[in-house]
Amino acid sequence: MKGANISVIRRFLPGVVSMLGFMLLWQLGTSFGPLSGGSLPSAINAISALGALFVLPEIWLAIGQTLFIALTGLLISVVLGIPAGVLVGLSPFAYRSLKPVLDFFKVIPPIVIIPIVILVFGPTTEMGIFLVVFANFFMLVFQSAYGVRDLDTVLLDTLRCYGMTKWDEIWHARIPGALPFIAVGVRIAVAASMIVAVVAGLIGGAPSLGQQMLLYQSSGQPNQTFAIVIIFGVLGLGLARIYSRLQRKIVFWTD
Amino acid sequence: MSTGKVIVSAESVVMDYQTPTGIKHVLNDISFSLLEGEFASIVGPSGVGKTTLLRLLTGLMQPTSGTIRINGEVVTSPPPGLAVVLQDYTRSLMPWLTVEKNISLPLKRLGLSKTEIAETIELVLTEVGLRGNQKNYPWQLSGGMQQRVAIARAIAVRPQLLIMDEPFASVDAQTRFDLEDLVLKVRDDFKITTAMVTHDIDEAVYLSDKVVVLYGSPADVKEIVKVDLPYPRNQVASRGREEFAELRTKIYAQVRGLQ
Ligand SMILES: Nc1ncnc2c1ncn2[C@@H]1O[C@H](COP(=O)(O)OP(=O)(O)OP(=O)(O)O)[C@@H](O)[C@H]1O
Ligand SMILES: [Mg+2]
Repeated sequence: MKGANISVIRRFLPGVVSMLGFMLLWQLGTSFGPLSGGSLPSAINAISALGALFVLPEIWLAIGQTLFIALTGLLISVVLGIPAGVLVGLSPFAYRSLKPVLDFFKVIPPIVIIPIVILVFGPTTEMGIFLVVFANFFMLVFQSAYGVRDLDTVLLDTLRCYGMTKWDEIWHARIPGALPFIAVGVRIAVAASMIVAVVAGLIGGAPSLGQQMLLYQSSGQPNQTFAIVIIFGVLGLGLARIYSRLQRKIVFWTD
Repeated sequence: MSTGKVIVSAESVVMDYQTPTGIKHVLNDISFSLLEGEFASIVGPSGVGKTTLLRLLTGLMQPTSGTIRINGEVVTSPPPGLAVVLQDYTRSLMPWLTVEKNISLPLKRLGLSKTEIAETIELVLTEVGLRGNQKNYPWQLSGGMQQRVAIARAIAVRPQLLIMDEPFASVDAQTRFDLEDLVLKVRDDFKITTAMVTHDIDEAVYLSDKVVVLYGSPADVKEIVKVDLPYPRNQVASRGREEFAELRTKIYAQVRGLQ
């Protein structure tokens, strides 16, 4: 019991200490340092603004909208991107034909298509979701295709010698073998979805935390603007944590 | 230990690889045969074409010319009744499947019932000394144990022909002796015709009825050395015999190109 307590402290203490240290530096920097007197809020101000924000329904709404855009977009890109990638990866011809297209779309940052997407959807939730899907889809297709292609040659030889059917090879070897690659893709997608959901609000005017932030910024409320940055950080971290747990279950054989 | 029936025959097998820099002649003119129940080792210097020859025997590749027959039929793809154990157990077992599932996957196509499969798995795991490890994952086992699982998977299909490529190369010396004795035992219990590639000449002599020595570039069969050590063999007594020393010296010289 005591041992468990000590190990919990060991695990969390360094993180807590460095977090507090960072806050202290922030506070000192904005009070005395070269950053003082500017419009950069101090740690105390930002955190008290954060406390005040939590009683505002529009903040909860914005959090909800952001998560909705991020998670819906994530879900759609996972549901479409992974099977598409697996199929592309299983066919050498499809892979060779589509790889240049994938490479092309993969390097286009979602921000640059915002003007076009706004023309189609307007500054809406749908626009945000579309951007999230756009940001993730090609990367997930690529990761999945790469994963199913990457089956170890020794394993493949072994399976063929045992007369395994093509179907067994795909189902029991290629797809599970691709899961670690796919899991990495989804990890990237989780982070990207949150970022794009906020950017969609910030630049594209879709209803989300980004839009709220813009509102506070343009009305000269730096403390509140900063508080939203903190909310965003906590949400992103939370999602990443939840996904990490899930990932450890799905690809349990890797470490 | 053999009935005299030819299981494997290689007839004037030539293998060339197409490479970006041109054609690489690997096997020049390989002929040998393997009788039912026989254990043959293939030895030769590194890069001589041992793995190439094994892959041709399995039907994973076709020779440039010449033929490989198994049971008299020309091999064009992996024949039924084939089992393999390859060097790198970390790559030949599926880490996402339990020991049991790894063994049962090749069994499925034999049309066994669920209980027959479970019984077979129990039997082969007992044979290799891993009873009770059905539900473990390969990565929870030591290297030697994983290679035992690969051997269990091989004997579970009741193969007519077992092909092994340096099966003990990635385990420590003690485990290697244990696995060699396991192979002798399995062979005695299941009477499987076996072709094994090894770098270890002592191991080749200890386990085999004949040793096929490859030499040259492109490679020829330098000699097929018959090993007449009596059975049952054992690490201390068999390796201590005078014939053992003579055979290993002779094969060693051939692999080194000294003879
Ligand atoms: N797919 C391939 N394409 C081109 N050349 C190859 C290919 N596979 C093997 N070779 C070449 O053929 C020769 C024989 O290779 P092989 O792997 O059969 O040798 P080996 O005797 O098994 O070697 P080792 O003892 O190192 O395992 C080597 O020179 C190798 O580079
Ligand atoms: Mg080799």
